[in-house]
Amino acid sequence: MKIKLVRTGGFIPITKAAETDVNLTDQEITRLLNTIESGPVIQRIKDGNYYELTIGGRSIPVDLEKVPEEYKKLFSKLKSDLKIVK
Amino acid sequence: MCKNHHNPVHCIIPPYMLSKLMESGNKKIADLAINSNFRSFRFHNDRSFFQKSSLHEKTILGVNIKASGKSILQMEVYDCKQKTDLAGAVLLWDSKTNQKISSVAGKNVIKGGKASWDFYNQLFGRNSIDNKGLLIRQYIHYDKGLDNAYWDGRRMIYGDGDGLVFTSFTSDIDIIGHELTHGVTEHESNLDYEDQAGAMNESFSDIFGIMIKQRYNNQDVKKANWLIGEKVMKGANYALRSMKAPGTGYKNHPELGDDPQPATMDKYVKLPNTQSGDWGGVHINSGIPNFAFYISAFNMGGYSWEKAGRIWYAVLTDSNLAQDAKFADVKKLTISHAEKIFGLNSPEVKAVKQGWDAAKV
Repeated sequence: MKIKLVRTGGFIPITKAAETDVNLTDQEITRLLNTIESGPVIQRIKDGNYYELTIGGRSIPVDLEKVPEEYKKLFSKLKSDLKIVK
Repeated sequence: MCKNHHNPVHCIIPPYMLSKLMESGNKKIADLAINSNFRSFRFHNDRSFFQKSSLHEKTILGVNIKASGKSILQMEVYDCKQKTDLAGAVLLWDSKTNQKISSVAGKNVIKGGKASWDFYNQLFGRNSIDNKGLLIRQYIHYDKGLDNAYWDGRRMIYGDGDGLVFTSFTSDIDIIGHELTHGVTEHESNLDYEDQAGAMNESFSDIFGIMIKQRYNNQDVKKANWLIGEKVMKGANYALRSMKAPGTGYKNHPELGDDPQPATMDKYVKLPNTQSGDWGGVHINSGIPNFAFYISAFNMGGYSWEKAGRIWYAVLTDSNLAQDAKFADVKKLTISHAEKIFGLNSPEVKAVKQGWDAAKV
């Protein structure tokens, strides 16, 4: 199953994306998304970046500070793999 | 005749004599007496008037504001050590001890922070970001290879850049001034961060960022290149933005393509008011008011901060600047403030109008 992280925003608005394969059950996906989903109101940080995660047909804005310990390595890899979307 | 005047009526004349002269049948003498009476009235009342007037009123009236003795720069620099835990960042430098540091990024933000604080304090008497002496906190080496800098509502945060397209976001003073100005805007009009108001919010940050850099480098409007982030973006022909020619910060960049900023209102880019839509293109359409400022400042000549800067600061701190202001609202306010500061038909008013006309607002 593919998991895709997209980063938008910034001092100059560029979009970056990274994708990798994961082996997660539907329950694990739901639990992960529920944990890291941004609140209903997204704070508009001046020049800030925003992340969106796509997995299992769902795309949601996420707060990477909420990533649980067991997924930190996965998200660290996704972040380091982010490439500019031309 | 007074030693310093070419006009005899501008001498110290007793009030009873001045009253007589004001009623003189000779129109020239009467006019001069009225003028002198007005000056005398002002001389006696200016001090009490200005003691009561706000900083904003003083700025409008063009009073040479001297920095208050109580205004002292307070700044701290923290090293995030490439992590995203701000609470765990290590204090690297503070203005109280002013210790020597070896970190390049640290030195950059100290230099930029001081230049920004000096700019606002020495020119406008502003006491830090909130005008109440707020401690300026800057965080460097945030995250791994983050190609960004931002103001999170309380502090300035800088990434090191990805090393491919971008270097450290501390490399340019204009970026540091840009982020600090987001704080100033937040404490003044608090412009919405979406659509035209958001683009205006971004533009104020670019405008004050570029003036802070030009002042630090002692560059006048002709000598300056009006590029934002020219060191941050790798490659001699690239910059993050151009205020002189929006849309030309970078061209045919192998990774980024072309700079998307428009210079004129007829090229305004309509984007969705979402995070992926840059909240309606706030970093894109800021090119329009940026261009208006550039033309205005250039046509005024000299140093950008001396005339155009005074006008734009008066607008930035004007309580009439609505949170959802559009470009046309800011245009009206800049013209109005230029008239108050420099006179109704002054060359400065003409230059401001030329700026907005060039941007087709």
